[in-house]
Amino acid sequence: MTPDATPHPERSHQRAGVLSPAIGEAAARACADHPGADGDLLSLRDVTMVFPGVVALDGVGFSLQRGEVHAVCGENGAGKSTLMKVLSGQYRPASGTVTYKGSERRFASSLEAQRAGIAMIHQELNLVPHLSVAENIYLAREPRRWGFVDRARLARDSRRCLDRLGLAVSPDAIVGQLSVAQQQMVEIAKALSLDAEVLIMDEPTSSLTGAETAQLFDVIRELRGAGVGIIYISHRLDELAQIVDRVTVLRDGRYIGTERFADTSIDEIVSRMVGRPLQDMFPPRTSLPCEDSVLSVTGLSRGTRLGPVSFELRRGEILGFAGLMGAGRTEVARAVFGADPVDSGTVRLGGDVLAIRSPIDAIRQGIAYLSEDRKGQGLAVNMSVAENVTMACMRAVSNRFGFISHAAEDAAAQRFIDELGIRTPSSRQLARLLSGGNQQKVVIAKWLFRESRVIFFDEPTRGIDVGAKFAIYQLMDALAAKGIGVVMISSELPEIMGMTDRIAVFHEGRINAVLHTRATSQEEVMHFASGSRQALAVHH
Amino acid sequence: MNQRRKDLVQKFAALGSLLVLMIAFSFTSDAFFSVGNGMTVALQVTSIAYLGIGATCVIITGGIDLSVGSILALSGVAAALAVKAGVPVPLAMLLGLLTGAACGLVNGFFIAHLRLPPFIATLGMMLVARGLALQVTGAKAIGGLGDSFAELGNGALWRVVKVGTDGFPDVVFRGIPYPVLVMIVLAILVSIMLNRTTLGRHIYAVGSNAEAARLSGVNVTRVTLFVYVLSGALAGLTGCVLMSRLVTAQPSEGVMYELDAIAASVIGGTSLSGGVGSISGTGIGAFVIGILRNGLNMAGVSSFIQQIIIGLVILLTVWVDRLRNRR
Repeated sequence: MTPDATPHPERSHQRAGVLSPAIGEAAARACADHPGADGDLLSLRDVTMVFPGVVALDGVGFSLQRGEVHAVCGENGAGKSTLMKVLSGQYRPASGTVTYKGSERRFASSLEAQRAGIAMIHQELNLVPHLSVAENIYLAREPRRWGFVDRARLARDSRRCLDRLGLAVSPDAIVGQLSVAQQQMVEIAKALSLDAEVLIMDEPTSSLTGAETAQLFDVIRELRGAGVGIIYISHRLDELAQIVDRVTVLRDGRYIGTERFADTSIDEIVSRMVGRPLQDMFPPRTSLPCEDSVLSVTGLSRGTRLGPVSFELRRGEILGFAGLMGAGRTEVARAVFGADPVDSGTVRLGGDVLAIRSPIDAIRQGIAYLSEDRKGQGLAVNMSVAENVTMACMRAVSNRFGFISHAAEDAAAQRFIDELGIRTPSSRQLARLLSGGNQQKVVIAKWLFRESRVIFFDEPTRGIDVGAKFAIYQLMDALAAKGIGVVMISSELPEIMGMTDRIAVFHEGRINAVLHTRATSQEEVMHFASGSRQALAVHH
Repeated sequence: MNQRRKDLVQKFAALGSLLVLMIAFSFTSDAFFSVGNGMTVALQVTSIAYLGIGATCVIITGGIDLSVGSILALSGVAAALAVKAGVPVPLAMLLGLLTGAACGLVNGFFIAHLRLPPFIATLGMMLVARGLALQVTGAKAIGGLGDSFAELGNGALWRVVKVGTDGFPDVVFRGIPYPVLVMIVLAILVSIMLNRTTLGRHIYAVGSNAEAARLSGVNVTRVTLFVYVLSGALAGLTGCVLMSRLVTAQPSEGVMYELDAIAASVIGGTSLSGGVGSISGTGIGAFVIGILRNGLNMAGVSSFIQQIIIGLVILLTVWVDRLRNRR
């Protein structure tokens, strides 16, 4: 690919006021200021960003036009997040220039960039959970009257922002009580209320359902129509086709190239991201499950929301938990693991009934659970890689008086750094300084170090790049081949279809069907996930 | 910058300010830089250090203990009352220490089991323990505790006394006071506990990410209980040592000591958001406060001005720490 700075003539005319007049006007006004509106709205030239020990960006260029959706792709650690932080004013690059609306800018802070019209929507949302939607949208910019908050105008203005997005949420709703998708829309509403001309979206769909994603894309298309430039980062490459105009690929902090999406393909993008042609998405399964069950759960229930749930997991099996968000997949895993209390239910491990009251009991019996919330529940980000790896099994690196052998600990950590290919300068590096995929590998290493009989992987590949995903799939297969029972919870059906032996399909807190992966289809899984009790009439 | 180097910078920064203080004070007073005054400072620092060691462990877990000042008063009073009731001094002191540990256990129970915020739970204990100490003594000091009660606070190891030519005893070397000895031993033990044992690692893990620790099989409840019991027991010890030094049990002793302890931790680089902190840092922090007080005293600065200066030093050190940790 070659760096492509050709503007999109067909886009620059799409400034029809599909959206609110306000945005259209803001963009139009800005265009009037700069007659050369066909030029770049925002561009980076030769930007280098160095952190102690790492060159995060190495002479990277990038350009964004008005009314364009521009995807930035790359593996974890390729420099996407750093690039976005440079664009949004959070980092100041060591060298290189940022040009916005025709003039060179050095934003001192993200606030300054925001005032200039560059808004970023982070993967971890930046909302105040205890305040209302309206208060969040106008946080620190509350409309005032006689020095007091003008509540009537606040409600009116925020209502208008929400309507613009077709969002059926009350401005008075408390943000903490909304779904993640709704919260994300509130973030977008906030950005719109700022008259943002550049919107940076970091993994906006990672926790959205299909319908919510479709709604988000409608909004993105409307914003594009109104002349907003959108930078879109996502690991879900299959989504790109629906909305993206151009794609820029980064690898190891270096600029690889920019191309129109129509002129390239997902496969090509992926091979440029990883720097080699990619064969299959999933590794072949190397073993078959045994007949005997390792984990058997019967009648697990809590309140009215969960269960009763019963299922069997065989030795060497990968069992998928499919279903919509909130269908009870994570809840069942956490209940078996003892992380949440249950009202009733029996858990048998290799035939013995277990009394699991806390994760301590579960871990002692050989059950492991990799949380879906990596930073919140999986990783101690201020501790080192080695300390995280050994956290669930201090016994193995300490003597019987509880004294830790730092040498043994480092050796253990180094083993997994090598085996899993964790990119870190040393085992003493703080976990928060690693990229997302490498952090996930650290969490996985924690559970590999603690040898378990049953492992629950809850969304193990969320927010992780293609190469790391493949490594994690291989690992799951290797675990199954060793006779370990693996449960894979995932919202991405293709990986459930690609990796599992059987699929338990959840609907509203219960298992609606258990399907043999080889004898079913994505359609059938979705069919059961949406609550239907009958098998599909047309069976592939 | 890797973590170890950062830790070193942190230590040297605190240590550097300590040295600057010492040099500055040696100019303001000739008597400052002497073995005798050194021992005096060390002795004065012991209370802050004992409490600071406990506070550091608590703060690393992300908690706070506001009750230690009151607990030390209650513990000292308990020990004194026991002596008055005829209990041998060592046993009475042990009772005082256990009183502190029991208060800590109650703190831990409210925090770990009933899930009260540490600030609230220990604020409650601060009032209850102080009230108890005042109630059982009728707010009056308990005196006449005897020489053996004074031994822990006033005795010293390797004290060399020669009988002079005039027939009066002449102190050649004051020795190392027992409280200083206890401080050194405690600092080493707790430091080893934090750095080398699984319990210590779990303390850091709980403060760094409690939920991740729980899901990794760390017994968060037990770790939390432990740090508050430790903090309480150290407060109990502080009470015994302090009352022994005064040879009187004062129910109103130790007011605001908890804040000194927290200040020592924070000056030493302990983060109030949890997961970060060290005993060596806290030791330096305690000496910064102790030397400031001592030096300012010798320079004839009023205690009101001293408060102002110490307040400013806390603000300054934490601000510098923030600057250094910012990218």
